[in-house]
Amino acid sequence: MDKKTVTTISYLSRLKIDEEKEEKITNDLENIIKFVDQLNDIDTSDIEPLTNPLEKTAKTRDDIVTADNLKKELLEIAPSSNEDYFLVPRVVE
Amino acid sequence: MISHKEISNKELVKEVYKLINENSHLNAFITLNEDSSLKKAENFDNNPSDSSLAGIPIAQKDLFCTKNLRTTCGSKILDNFIPPYSATVIDNLEKAGCISIGKTNMDEFAMGSSNETSYFGNVHNPWGENLVPGGSSGGSASAIAAGIVPAASGTDTGGSIRQPASLCGITGLKPTYGRVSRWGMIAFASSLDQAGPMARTAEDCALLLNEMCSHDIKDTTSLDENIPNFEDALNQSLKGKKIGVVKDLDLASLDNNVVEVYENSLKEFVSLGAELVDISLPNLSLSVPTYYVVAPAECSSNLSRFDGVKFGRRSQNPKDLEELYIQTRSEGFGDEVKRRILIGSYVLSAGYYDAYYKKAQQVRRLIKKDFDEAFSDVDVIMTPTTRGAAFEMGSKGSDPIQMYLEDLFTISANLAGLPAMSLPNGNIDNKPIGLQIIGNFLDESSILNFAHMYQTKTNWHMLTPEGVIK
Repeated sequence: MDKKTVTTISYLSRLKIDEEKEEKITNDLENIIKFVDQLNDIDTSDIEPLTNPLEKTAKTRDDIVTADNLKKELLEIAPSSNEDYFLVPRVVE
Repeated sequence: MISHKEISNKELVKEVYKLINENSHLNAFITLNEDSSLKKAENFDNNPSDSSLAGIPIAQKDLFCTKNLRTTCGSKILDNFIPPYSATVIDNLEKAGCISIGKTNMDEFAMGSSNETSYFGNVHNPWGENLVPGGSSGGSASAIAAGIVPAASGTDTGGSIRQPASLCGITGLKPTYGRVSRWGMIAFASSLDQAGPMARTAEDCALLLNEMCSHDIKDTTSLDENIPNFEDALNQSLKGKKIGVVKDLDLASLDNNVVEVYENSLKEFVSLGAELVDISLPNLSLSVPTYYVVAPAECSSNLSRFDGVKFGRRSQNPKDLEELYIQTRSEGFGDEVKRRILIGSYVLSAGYYDAYYKKAQQVRRLIKKDFDEAFSDVDVIMTPTTRGAAFEMGSKGSDPIQMYLEDLFTISANLAGLPAMSLPNGNIDNKPIGLQIIGNFLDESSILNFAHMYQTKTNWHMLTPEGVIK
């Protein structure tokens, strides 16, 4: 874990790390990765990954409308919106 | 008391708010729901209800969406979020008559074991000045321990119900993954998160669990299984029932007092007729490193929705859309949340996915297999809940791994999806500590049975901090 890696994953995470915290966070991440590295000592050949304890396929349901249209309520709690849309800074010049 | 008309519903709710004010130093609540709660209580006084929990004041962890009531998840990024709908758990409890009196403080996005990561400040443990209440459901645990409310909701991703229950001297249950709907719960790690009840006794937890559970088509992982009446098995005899005692536990690393308290509880169960059986969970020690790959990976994905566009806080004056995302998230998340998002992005990124994420999921299966084998022999498994009693704020220093190891005994149940409970089983230097009972898949009833029988013989669950009215 070096500064370059931290910069890359920060960007992937859309996070900016304050300069004065950069060293501490690099060290923390390094230590956490070292800590989880002990998993590599375990023989897991032929072991299927377990992604979810239920291991059931998600159920489908009938395609019928069950929820109310909350458009007005949802737009109201947005940081910026007009009557129909969420508003963000201009994307295409 | 309510049914005997010794106190009206409204008087009871007023009393709760009085206690909240008197205990404001605990910082257990983020948002109160006073007007609406008093109205509901008045309604119950005017139109008595026979719902199972009619008029019971309950505190809700601030991780559940509550319609028209601010829901922050302990984070600055949601400090202005007022959901237009309620979580299924909240709806279920309120339909049963519970009065949601307020939202409890918690570690930010449930990431923490001491409540020190909340944007709204530390919660204090009523058992002593400067003691942490545990986390992440620390506000819920503290409010019950202080006698403010008889019960609260919590959520548990790696121990967030059980560890604060242990440190605050209350009883808390994490049900089987899928038992309780996750709809309307703000997601941290979706394959681990589970909501559950926190209260003083196992019996109260059973009453709450009866109402919290439902098959919910809005949550695709909600189980469509028979939901028993959890009160039914409470009083069953423990004669001949088997308790798995994990021989791989490194008890030598624990405080002597913790070991003594734990062993005394096992003796108590033997005197109740249960039998102790040595079992092996050889991969148990891998549960913390496994968790710290799986949980951050899921968290980095889940928390990508907080971008300042549709709800929550937005950063001011970004020059473009990308800066809006980056500034909003950098200003809105605290250090621990950022740390976990970064770890998650790292273990999921190209080139590292197989080495970390896939590997951790493979080890997760080994851990689950250990439990499957153990449960072919025993009814429940017991361990201490925590490595010690409540610790002082700031005492874990700045090394995150020291805090992560706090959940050493609790995390494996989340990885395997199993139900598990913590109940008070002793006191160390006037600080409570808990026993963990892990049950087989969907077998909350056995856990509640063991816990209730223990609580009929012991009074650890009735001990309260000085000054608390029982």
